Amino acid sequence: MPFTAKSGKFNAKINTVVVGTGDKAITIGGENVLPFYTFDDAIENAPKVGIEITDGGLAAEPECIQKFYEGCTTVADMAKKAATFEGVDFLSIRLEGGDPNGENKSTEELIQLVQEVADAVDVPLVVCGCKNVEKDAELLDKAASVLAGRNAMILAAKEENYKTIGASAGLAYKQIVGAESAVDINLAKQLNVLLTQLGVDGKSVVMNVGSAAAGYGFEYVVSTMDRVKAAALQQGDATLQMPIITPVASETWSVKEAISTEEDSPEWGSQEERGIDMEIETAAAVLASGSNAVILRHPESVKTIKNLISALV
Amino acid sequence: MAKFVTIGERLSTTAPAVNKAFLERDPEPILKRAKQQLDAGAVYLDVNIGPAEGYGPDLMKWAVQLLQSEFDNVPLALDTSNKAAIEAGISVYNRSKGKPIVNSADAAGRIENIDLAAANDAIVIALCNGEGIAKDNDERMGYCQMLLERGLEHGMEPTDLWFDPLFLVVKGMQDKQMEVLECIKMFADMGLNSTGGLSNNSNGMPKHIRPIMDSALVAMAMMQGLTSAIVNPNDLRLMETIKSCDVFKNNTLYADSYLEI
Repeated sequence: MPFTAKSGKFNAKINTVVVGTGDKAITIGGENVLPFYTFDDAIENAPKVGIEITDGGLAAEPECIQKFYEGCTTVADMAKKAATFEGVDFLSIRLEGGDPNGENKSTEELIQLVQEVADAVDVPLVVCGCKNVEKDAELLDKAASVLAGRNAMILAAKEENYKTIGASAGLAYKQIVGAESAVDINLAKQLNVLLTQLGVDGKSVVMNVGSAAAGYGFEYVVSTMDRVKAAALQQGDATLQMPIITPVASETWSVKEAISTEEDSPEWGSQEERGIDMEIETAAAVLASGSNAVILRHPESVKTIKNLISALV
Repeated sequence: MAKFVTIGERLSTTAPAVNKAFLERDPEPILKRAKQQLDAGAVYLDVNIGPAEGYGPDLMKWAVQLLQSEFDNVPLALDTSNKAAIEAGISVYNRSKGKPIVNSADAAGRIENIDLAAANDAIVIALCNGEGIAKDNDERMGYCQMLLERGLEHGMEPTDLWFDPLFLVVKGMQDKQMEVLECIKMFADMGLNSTGGLSNNSNGMPKHIRPIMDSALVAMAMMQGLTSAIVNPNDLRLMETIKSCDVFKNNTLYADSYLEI
């Protein structure tokens, strides 16, 4: 009997989500096959790569990244520059200084900054909060408001604050709503259900199902993404067909492989290379597990991951 | 495994209001009942127009177009002994949400409905019954083989034959219930899909008892591998049981709001 290869394409597919506006807008999702399984069916929208800066500006960047932003004095300058690096599809601004347990910058100050960044660039924007759920409810509500018309991604609504952020970003200002859960498949689904019950269009929701740096409990991240994609594609579960975005940089640039100096760990070699390696390895792994977009920090990582994606899709 | 497929049974000429609406081509009562069933989570809707001698093809076409245009090409089971009506229904059927189901074929007088389903790339409910109720599972499985071979000969995928063991009424045939459940297990072991009129079991019981019996039976049947049933989706207890069993079987991913979706 002749061998007939069976196509592994599914009847269901991941939602297609557009972020940003105009020529620079990006489209993620839309696939009906497993990650990079282009032999089963064409993947119309290759995964996208974003670069992240923070409200802390140049001083908050690891030393090895600062040189790429030479001459920049403001965060808006950095945004402009970041948007020009090779392979950058979108820009993410992380408002980590808003954390009440950290610098506790005021909402007004941070939103002013978001506005300046938005005015400086025309690439699609992602705004990440400070990880404090109460402060994020306030910050991201205001961010959604000042970015009205930019079709930005607001990262993210969590179980504790989805009502405020969903109503603001999803309903009032028609941005893309990020739904964040921490490596918990049941909660990932539940949050999507809650957001849609709130009235947010499921087709403008993107999930952050959690991440970790490779080697730091990363198996759970992979199995979560696998299970989410299996439910979305194999079981046709519409409550999990949202594309996945994974902020990688915020995980990898704080682990010891990235921060231990060459004096402290001479046997590990170049600190910059280690940092880049951690970022690239983690990004490649989450992409292979189904992420439709990753957020990175080092321009070299962005370029490398972009090349990897271009070679596969 | 795929989610359990519920086929809503409430559009049937056995209900006087529906019969009247079909005869008068009155959309309102039909759409109302269809919406109630879909809101409650029905996947397919059964459209039982009775034998409809003479006017069957026209009526089935009208019903298919009415329901599919109103409810985003909802998939349908075309339920009538009138073959011309089934063919007419399929001729206007939009299959973007699922193939049409021919309801039904058996191993006796209605075996040709398998050929009809094969010719139209449809699913067929294959009732494991000859003349009268099968006396045991040897007889049921004999019919199953016969129906399966008929389908395969005509080029059908085995998964497009949904085998119906024929659920039996408890009041009168209580001693046969486990046999029916064992039959479902045999279908499942062969990798076959199955369905049936589950609520037959509780015929003649007080109204408040029926949802309890139906729920218990659906749970046991799903454990055996039943993949679908023709049910009243507006029976909340039954639908909650099916959704819960789908979670236990890992057919759907659990979320706290799983009963609401």
